[in-house]
Amino acid sequence: MAAVTEPVRAPRRSNIPSANVQLPAVQSYTQVNDEIIATLRGTKAWFVGLGLAITCLAIGAAAWIYQIYYGLGVAGYAPPVMWGVYIITFVFWVGIGHAGTLISAILYLFRAGFRTTIYRCAEAMTVFAVMTAGLFPILHLGRPWKFFWLIPYPNWRLIWPNFKSPLVWDVFAILTYLTVSTTFLYIGLLPDLAALRDRETHPVRKQIFSLLSLGWRNSDREWRHFARAYLFLAAFSTPLVLSVHSVVSFDFAMALTPGWHATIFPPYFVAGAIFSGIGMVFTIIIPIRRWFNLKHYVTINHLDAAAKLCLTTSLIVGLAYMTEFWVAWYSGNKVEQEYFINRVFGQWWWAAWIMLLCNMVLPLSLFSQRLRRNTTWLFILSLFINLGMWFERFVIVVPSLSHEFEPWQWTEYAPSWVDWAILLGSFGWFSMWFLLFIKQFPVIAIAEVKEIVPPPLRRAHPHEDAIDVNARHLSFETGTPGEHA
Amino acid sequence: MRGVLGVFHELDALTDAVAALKKERSGDITVYSATPRHEIEHVMAHGPSVVRRFTLIGGLLGATFGYWIAIWVSDYWPIVVGGKPIAAWVPYTIFGFEMMVLIGSLATVAGLFINARIPRLTMTVGYDPRFSDGDFGVWVACPPDKERTVAATLQRNGAVEVRSER
Repeated sequence: MAAVTEPVRAPRRSNIPSANVQLPAVQSYTQVNDEIIATLRGTKAWFVGLGLAITCLAIGAAAWIYQIYYGLGVAGYAPPVMWGVYIITFVFWVGIGHAGTLISAILYLFRAGFRTTIYRCAEAMTVFAVMTAGLFPILHLGRPWKFFWLIPYPNWRLIWPNFKSPLVWDVFAILTYLTVSTTFLYIGLLPDLAALRDRETHPVRKQIFSLLSLGWRNSDREWRHFARAYLFLAAFSTPLVLSVHSVVSFDFAMALTPGWHATIFPPYFVAGAIFSGIGMVFTIIIPIRRWFNLKHYVTINHLDAAAKLCLTTSLIVGLAYMTEFWVAWYSGNKVEQEYFINRVFGQWWWAAWIMLLCNMVLPLSLFSQRLRRNTTWLFILSLFINLGMWFERFVIVVPSLSHEFEPWQWTEYAPSWVDWAILLGSFGWFSMWFLLFIKQFPVIAIAEVKEIVPPPLRRAHPHEDAIDVNARHLSFETGTPGEHA
Repeated sequence: MRGVLGVFHELDALTDAVAALKKERSGDITVYSATPRHEIEHVMAHGPSVVRRFTLIGGLLGATFGYWIAIWVSDYWPIVVGGKPIAAWVPYTIFGFEMMVLIGSLATVAGLFINARIPRLTMTVGYDPRFSDGDFGVWVACPPDKERTVAATLQRNGAVEVRSER
């Protein structure tokens, strides 16, 4: 690691090109290996975190067993509100799963440099979030042991898949997304697994890494085909990101229920999903960079660029909220108008205002460069975004179902302790997998970080004059190693 | 398989050595680096990767399968709703698209594995763990009578270690 020097006093510059965010404190390939592989050592805080996650999971599992024994009635459903916390949380976790592939695939195609050090975390988050989401349709079943009846394949049970149903589209979309995201994560891990294999001294772990790395040797043949395959996987994943949450939105938009039947739903859901995913990336990456001493990898410039993306998606989500109100008013449809008045002033007003405050108002703070570069604020804001996005799904699901066309059907809904326990369990399940992941695999992509580290050369680099020194060394956090003018 | 392995600290030393070896036509050259470098691609001058063909074929097969499964199931068990068509291409495009992405992605991975020749069950010869750390490497598969010439070329171009392996 380079010596600690005084932070730079560079002239104020409002914008740093996201493709130009560099790692001035990272000097050599060996340093990258040393520092990132060092994060795999177990720490007391990690064990505490894992214990907490497993405890939450156990609470959720106990609640589920209770629900299986006593039936779905314990879950707080009140007809016609038959989609409650489980479907809300399903949509929430699918949404969280969107930022990972956005960051790893779409930003890869756009050559956005700030993705390099955060995409591994985001990809892992995607896989585990979709795994978590996948539990909820099963939790939502009265007889969960017959979950395989939901899988749409021709069978002899007299249940024939209806390919015109959005729920069947959902199965295809989410399973494809899970498969492609997992593949993308694993393929990206191959060179790093080879680096772990070559460093490992414990014979059993070395054997495991040898198997997982598939005998990867960093040869020119491997890299040539790898680069092409990775590009195509990114190209496939890009429309997939857009399609999956569009399909999830069709679960709602294809119904005639007030508040749901809107053509704005696909882009509104996609923007919301990306927004919530970036929120969760901040929740995860900010503690990781601090606890694992990775501030010189995930720099303030990276977080600043990601915060701009967060702000942009927040503005799109805010526009979608306002458009929904405007369309309801402009349509002249009394039921729709009544529903939207009820949304903000009716029985669920508090949920709608939490949503608007967390997703529309608080993210406006990111117009301030100072706040974009304040990790404490970014972390706090990310918690508000997570909260706000869960309530967004609450506002979509519950008020619509509890306030449909027929006033005699209007009803109340209150999640039961089982709902809350299973919601807690889902966070435990997600956190457990994520914590296990970050102690077995590099949390930052070693091979990709090496791509942006200047290679050792005998002669002067031919493009050295073209490197924008000011952009590389602009206003870093005080005390971050190697940050110098 | 036998040949000569050279270890380099610097990238330009490696590319110089590869250029010299190619000029001498010493044997099949494999270059190792911990990260993909365009300098190595230029000096090796391979053609474009054929993984793209796997992707194309996989994507087309997937799209065809997605439409086919939806149309076949609908025709096999027709559900008539409001006089609407039994097989409706608009919603079935979702299956065509999802299957295109799924099969296309898996075919891309298959293309990578086949062309990069992984999984590799043994590390065999011609590799050094330093290549995944900070060093670069060249493996030249050549007959014994050429080993001395190859070793000299590698050393002349800055190899920090040269060894024969079999």
